[in-house]
Amino acid sequence: MSSIAMLVDTSKCTACRGCQIACKQWWDLAATRTKQTGSYENPRDLSPETWSRVTFNEYEAGGKLQWLFLNLGCMHCTQAACVDVCPTGALQHNDTGFVSLDREQCNGCGYCVEACPFRIPRLDVVNTLTGEAKASKCTLCQDRVTNGLTPACVKTCPPGALQFGDRTAMLSVARKRVDTLKAQGVAQARTYGETELGGLGRLYVLTAPPTAYGLPEAPEYPALVNLWHNLAQPLGYAGAGLMTAGLAVNWLLTRRARLSNVEEK
Amino acid sequence: MATITMPLAGVRGRQVLVVRFTAAERAAHWVHFVAFSVLLVTGMFIYLPWLHAFAGGAAGEASRLIHRGAAVLFIAAPLVYLVFSPREFLYSLKESFTWGADDVGWLKNAWGYYSQGKLGTMPPQGKYNSGQKLNALTQIISFGLFVITGLIMWFGKGSVPSNVFLASVIVHDLAVIATVLLFMLHLYLVVLHPMMRESITSMFEGTVTRAFAEEHHGKWYSERVLRKREEEFDPLSKK
Repeated sequence: MSSIAMLVDTSKCTACRGCQIACKQWWDLAATRTKQTGSYENPRDLSPETWSRVTFNEYEAGGKLQWLFLNLGCMHCTQAACVDVCPTGALQHNDTGFVSLDREQCNGCGYCVEACPFRIPRLDVVNTLTGEAKASKCTLCQDRVTNGLTPACVKTCPPGALQFGDRTAMLSVARKRVDTLKAQGVAQARTYGETELGGLGRLYVLTAPPTAYGLPEAPEYPALVNLWHNLAQPLGYAGAGLMTAGLAVNWLLTRRARLSNVEEK
Repeated sequence: MATITMPLAGVRGRQVLVVRFTAAERAAHWVHFVAFSVLLVTGMFIYLPWLHAFAGGAAGEASRLIHRGAAVLFIAAPLVYLVFSPREFLYSLKESFTWGADDVGWLKNAWGYYSQGKLGTMPPQGKYNSGQKLNALTQIISFGLFVITGLIMWFGKGSVPSNVFLASVIVHDLAVIATVLLFMLHLYLVVLHPMMRESITSMFEGTVTRAFAEEHHGKWYSERVLRKREEEFDPLSKK
């Protein structure tokens, strides 16, 4: 099955934030009251009610100030740590290239929040004492894309900064765009997400280094998630298996030796 | 160290009975047992991928609540022990951390003893044999780890650094592995092993026969039970 991807061309983004609104509209997410903090960026962070947002970043290079806009949401990693730590199977990596979330199955453990190298999932904590909570994040509009539609944000994007389609096609669009930008003198133009964490489902065309956008230069699969999978899980199985075998052998030997309680000897 | 009174406690058939566990000790043991088992089962739902069906949805909601409730019981068990039987609590705690040559000898000969009944090969043991001490020690250390990492995951979500949270999950799991392995052994010996029948009845009734005490806990029997009886023995008493 060929995989799909979303392409965010930051060089075309005008920061209208139509994507933020379309996301809220499609998913029925409440508007939240925010405070003016001295930036046009609003809201300042993702939340259980905000799955996608535009970040405003100031970047100075060669004496020139750039105002960089980035559509941020789930990166839909191929090697998705959130999927690996999810104990309920609520998070799944769909073969077509996005990470789906079944909120009915989510038990609110919050492991995904801590495992994500991009710090995307958010936990809506209803009650700390009972642990009632639900994780939320962008699913690339799992309901829409599996029914042949584009994600809501892509559909609404006026300057065409957001595109959606076959991943290979998106990659070639991205590469071509980088070439064009370079020809226009944007020396630092580059793609992001081609190979990171096995390839991201949200691809980027950037005009500055990833760190200028607040993205990790080389996102890493968390070492502690690896440890859990490669150490704690196999150790548990091996230990329990060996112990069961040892006890079974012992039980057979006690039967053969006709052992009994000291009282009855 | 306060001396613990371990009087003879009557007879069963032709066997003299010796008090082994106080009521508080037995209550704490069983509360701990129930809490540990419930925590184990509800924890397994999220630890074992093939039990994931119980981790999500309504079953997940229920097991999440049950796990938290059992955690409260789990924390309460040693407090019951400490409050109602402080001397035995401290004595047992000290015993669990006291290891010597007799323990090495016991562990070395344990397989032969428990599989072929090689009597006389085991060094004399205190109130707890080396295996029981190993189980207790693992439970005690793991108890601390369970409570600390459990509380971090319960109340620290979002406020502790990611690596602290992820490390807590791993430490919680490793503590499960350590305690479960010894729990399996413990359960096997007291439930299925023919030589240890009295071990489990003593945790219900509080007593063991003198023969069992001499065979399995010789040091404890001679040092604590007999000496105490000798000290209290007064032929001139009018009682």
